[in-house]
Amino acid sequence: MTPQPEIIIDVENVSKKFLLPQGEVTILEDIQLQAQEGEFIVIVGPSGAGKSTLLRMMNGLVIPSAGRILFRGKPTRGINMETAMVFQNFGLLPWLTVLQNVELGLENRVKELDRRRERAQKYIGKVGLDGYEEAYPRELSGGMKQRVGLARALAVEPTLLLMDEPFSSLDVLSSINLRNELLDIWSDRDNVVNTVVLVTHIIEEAVELADRIVILGSRPGRIAGNIRVNIPRPRQKRDPLFLEYVDEVFSLLA
Amino acid sequence: MKRKEATSSLPDVGISQVLGLVSHLSSVGGKEDIYRLAGELSMELGETLKVIRAAETLKLVNTPGGEVEMEPFGAKVVDASIHERKELIFEQLQQIPLFKKIREFLDEEDGHEASKEMVLEKIADILPNEDAEHQFGAIVSWGRYAELFGYNDDSETFYLDQ
Ligand SMILES: Nc1ncnc2c1ncn2[C@@H]1O[C@H](COP(=O)(O)OP(=O)(O)OP(=O)(O)O)[C@@H](O)[C@H]1O
Ligand SMILES: [Mg+2]
Repeated sequence: MTPQPEIIIDVENVSKKFLLPQGEVTILEDIQLQAQEGEFIVIVGPSGAGKSTLLRMMNGLVIPSAGRILFRGKPTRGINMETAMVFQNFGLLPWLTVLQNVELGLENRVKELDRRRERAQKYIGKVGLDGYEEAYPRELSGGMKQRVGLARALAVEPTLLLMDEPFSSLDVLSSINLRNELLDIWSDRDNVVNTVVLVTHIIEEAVELADRIVILGSRPGRIAGNIRVNIPRPRQKRDPLFLEYVDEVFSLLA
Repeated sequence: MKRKEATSSLPDVGISQVLGLVSHLSSVGGKEDIYRLAGELSMELGETLKVIRAAETLKLVNTPGGEVEMEPFGAKVVDASIHERKELIFEQLQQIPLFKKIREFLDEEDGHEASKEMVLEKIADILPNEDAEHQFGAIVSWGRYAELFGYNDDSETFYLDQ
């Protein structure tokens, strides 16, 4: 008997309200979402649907107004140190080198400087950035900057990797390249990170990457669909099956 | 798009763009009309041509009459792991005259390093009709990626990465 994969994160009936000048506004309503160990989940939804808010609740930066979030079966409290986030705008400090930027994420987690350096080096290598250690962000293209963002998140060796529109500030070709490399890293089973929740507003990106697509409708954000993508990887954008999934997600979003 | 030989400059485009181009090409069957490619990627034609030219300089693609076509080396790069890909590009850069000449120049220097200024002069010498700063940028980024050259922007030192 094969054991059931562990449920890494379990978002249980979560709602989020914000107090705005016009009064209390419900941004997310009754969200239910689970990610199993090893799963690549993509949340797709229009701008303002509450995607970033949902990710921030998953890492503990934002507290739900109702419902709860369980991490490996236990209710979460405060920032979840077993998650790491990759941001749309890279989140790099311009006065630090690539190596220093990656090490920065480890300051609270790895005490000895040597071990921190070693760990940073390892993940700089994983994302293909060997040779860039002493470069500054200003010297790098967008694609290389986001590899630094990814290395910094991976270096934490998180159980759950959260990615908030990580390719949307890149040009189209660089984003194609980085999506492929992300899949390479994710499917490398030696890697510590195998559970990913990624947010996007691009349907093709969701169909290309996801094991499962969670569709978020807006105002208030509710789950409008949950689709398992049964296409072997690498996926071809002109494959009729690929296009069927794109249509299905599109119709659920509309 | 016809070019005679590869003694020319290297277009200053991102490595990720060039790698993205070959992945995309591979996912649409290895061959595409250049106009159509620009269209389906919503890219400006000029920008598309620049990336194609960089990919062509690296022998990743070929451009027979209005089309862009994957070379066997390009297919190999697409299939390679992140790590192997860097090694393949390393090998390929050694074949490009501009890189060869810069490498020979560094080999002669003390500590296999030189100031940015010296490298700029060398580039101007090799490619008198090109913008040396631009070429320097391209050499630094491809050189770093392939771990062939390194560059420290604080001290403006360029060096052989070995
Ligand atoms: N701290 C906050 N206080 C008040 N309102 C907020 C706060 N954070 C987010 N909002 C509002 O909640 C809504 C959803 O925001 P969120 O950033 O989560 O959406 P999103 O789906 O990530 O959008 P985008 O695609 O533009 O990134 C927006 O209307 C936003 O203005
Ligand atoms: Mg957002």
